[in-house]
Amino acid sequence: MSVNNRDPLVVGGVIGDVLERFTRSIDLRVTYGQREVTNGLDIRPSQIINKPRVEIGGEDLRNFYTLVMVDPDVPSPSNPHLREYLHWLVTDIPATTGTNFGNEIVSYESPRPTSGIHRLVLVLFRQLGRQTVYEPGWRPQFNTREFAALYNLSLPVAAVYFNCQRDNGCGGRRT
Amino acid sequence: MTQVTMEEVWKDINLASLHPHRQLNIDHEPVLSNQTPNKSIFQDFLNKPLNQEPPPSSSSTHHGSLLAPPATVISLNTHFIDTHFDESAMFGCFGKKRGQDSDDSRGDRRHNRMTKNRESAARSRARKQAYINELELEIVHLKKENARLKRQEEQLKMAEATQHQTKKILQRSWTSPF
Repeated sequence: MSVNNRDPLVVGGVIGDVLERFTRSIDLRVTYGQREVTNGLDIRPSQIINKPRVEIGGEDLRNFYTLVMVDPDVPSPSNPHLREYLHWLVTDIPATTGTNFGNEIVSYESPRPTSGIHRLVLVLFRQLGRQTVYEPGWRPQFNTREFAALYNLSLPVAAVYFNCQRDNGCGGRRT
Repeated sequence: MTQVTMEEVWKDINLASLHPHRQLNIDHEPVLSNQTPNKSIFQDFLNKPLNQEPPPSSSSTHHGSLLAPPATVISLNTHFIDTHFDESAMFGCFGKKRGQDSDDSRGDRRHNRMTKNRESAARSRARKQAYINELELEIVHLKKENARLKRQEEQLKMAEATQHQTKKILQRSWTSPF
């Protein structure tokens, strides 16, 4: 399944703002409670307080994967000068398993956008092997591309994104 | 085209929006006296650089009494720009720079807001389109899966039916000595 211009990741700007074009090759299922995350879904912060269940595909248990979760629209989509905010980082996830079996380098921090409608992107990379990943040290101004280059993760194998705005009041418009 | 400040261009636009039937006759702007004064103003407005240095002549008038320019303009734009001109009159007391800034920055701010609104609208459209595309992909995927599962079900039913037929007859599968 290759990426074309109608791909939700392209239309939603994830390809470009966060990632390069890539070809999906591994299944990625992200579920918050009962809701499975599909691209472009609108989810409120109250529904994503706890980390989601993440299940990945692949076939060979000897392959390990890294999951990154970022918000490229911080502090607001009209002025994202803190792009990207790192919400979660899990490495050494064996194929066919999930984040529970991996190494949580950066713990899940629930998104709480204050201004505007933010995109939350989950990206899956294949690791060359089991490797030591050092935690970035801070969450804002994370760069997924650079991170992937640093740890030789090459292009992503899967990605999904959803939209999130604050629970009450108008997240989409300033009063 | 003679040098026109941002403020004057905006005045024209505001006039047009407030009094749609009124003819706009600005002598020093031949472009604006056409049939569609609003459109040409808008395009010019968009193409103009944001931070225009006002021509020296107008700056000297701002120097002395700030009351003169605002007074003439207030007569044209009473309901809309009152408060802003009060601001500029106030700032005028502190020096020429402040007065100029509030005139320029008002136009700048509006231009800024327009740009931001345009971007926000574009993001909103992209959001909507991305979601729709995702749903369409899901539909295709689900239809395929549905067809596959139905085929599978048919095959299983047929297999079960034939098995059922053979099982009805009791047979010896092993022959024993007794």
